[in-house]
Amino acid sequence: MKDKKFTYYPGCSAHGTSEEYEHTLNLVCKSLNIKIEEIPDWNCCGATSAHVMTENLALALPMRNLILAERLENSTMVIPCAACYSRMKETKIRLDEDFSLRTKINSTVDDGDYKGNVAVKSFLQYCFEDIGIEDIKEKVVKPLKDLKVACYYGCLLTRPKNIAQFDSPEYPISMDKIIESLGATAVEYPFKTECCGASFSISNTEIVLDLSSRILDVVKDCGADIIAVGCPLCQSNLDMRQKQIEEKMNRDYKIPVVYFTQLMALAFGYPKSELKLKKHMVNVEKVLASF
Amino acid sequence: MLVLKNLQHNEFLEKVNQKSGSNVLNCYQCGKCVSTCPVSGYMEITPRQVMQYIKLAEDEKLFAANSTWYCLTCSSCSARCPREIEIPRVMEAVRHLAIEANILPDSSKIKSIKKFHDIFISMIKRYGKMFELRLMAEFNLRTGQFFKDIALAPKAIGKGKLKFKSEKIKNLKGLKRLFEMNQKLESEIQNTENASKHESK
Repeated sequence: MKDKKFTYYPGCSAHGTSEEYEHTLNLVCKSLNIKIEEIPDWNCCGATSAHVMTENLALALPMRNLILAERLENSTMVIPCAACYSRMKETKIRLDEDFSLRTKINSTVDDGDYKGNVAVKSFLQYCFEDIGIEDIKEKVVKPLKDLKVACYYGCLLTRPKNIAQFDSPEYPISMDKIIESLGATAVEYPFKTECCGASFSISNTEIVLDLSSRILDVVKDCGADIIAVGCPLCQSNLDMRQKQIEEKMNRDYKIPVVYFTQLMALAFGYPKSELKLKKHMVNVEKVLASF
Repeated sequence: MLVLKNLQHNEFLEKVNQKSGSNVLNCYQCGKCVSTCPVSGYMEITPRQVMQYIKLAEDEKLFAANSTWYCLTCSSCSARCPREIEIPRVMEAVRHLAIEANILPDSSKIKSIKKFHDIFISMIKRYGKMFELRLMAEFNLRTGQFFKDIALAPKAIGKGKLKFKSEKIKNLKGLKRLFEMNQKLESEIQNTENASKHESK
């Protein structure tokens, strides 16, 4: 690895519902000697409401963050949240392609001129492309032997394919490779990139219960012990709403849903008490009892 | 006859193409989008039909349907579209045009989805960052669902998932300007569109 430092965009949920994602991302980077530089005074990227309602604002909000990121002298901006990542990357691609759009939107942003010289990656992508499987494997001191993990990518880490430009839009394998390098087994199953209902969580909950139940059904059938995710919205839909789904659909899942970074930190030797596993609704400790 | 009339000049199609960056005319109605879409079963007009309605300049029918509001932007459809149409961007373009024309489907579900987005955006405007607990509380209040997710909230708060304190960005002044300028941009676009409509009449 050349650049052992990246610009970090946490996204709003990192300081709320997905605190444990950010926390374990930090632990993982500490083990790998990677420095993290958070964008000073970053703002919400607008996901998902801004792009539902208006075109310009949906570009201006991420653009401000991209401009602030360019002030730090790192080549890559890394984002844990899949939704923030998607908005930031789409904005970057559209601004880079279309100079008149760039000028128009930039006129609404006070914080300087956009140059387009910072790459945007999800943390999953950064782990897979920049850190690399071999370096991850080297750090493993506690192999997660016999743990069967369903890697769930959701939509936005690999789609739209011309925006994400990473892995497969239908059957991605990057997280599976990372999980296997930790000594665990990545379960093969067909719903890796089905939508969980995402931002309908609050405004159209019925749809989330329906879509998320389909994912949980398939995961359960494929014999996974645990689900690993890389998106705060997927995590909260599959975990926080799991009990509601069980009640509504008359099912019994009890499948814990963790961030892939929590499993990385565990395999890197951090004690379970440091992984914020108690933040999850479905009990995680039983499944991880032997580690 | 409807088809013939609308084939002459389809301003709606042009606008959608321009806004979405795709050419809807490329759609050959295979229906792969419908079978892939996780919510097409909930839509009054399926994604395949949406493409055809655009070709037929049926903007009013599309504006009155729930379809574009149900699109989750998951992009499963576009991953499989053999004509490489970015269907979620097309859905988005139609929705934006409906918002500009101020036409909403007559459905309480859509009204509550729109309310959610309005509250979300107003919160960014106020703080520069999202405040999840307040978003949930305000949504429940403003849609009259006082007890929605009431069983979840205490556990989520207890686990520190939902915070009582909000974060604010420092440059709120710049953010205020950003919102105002973008509002101005939107209304400028609308004004030029209205003016050109007036001229063509």
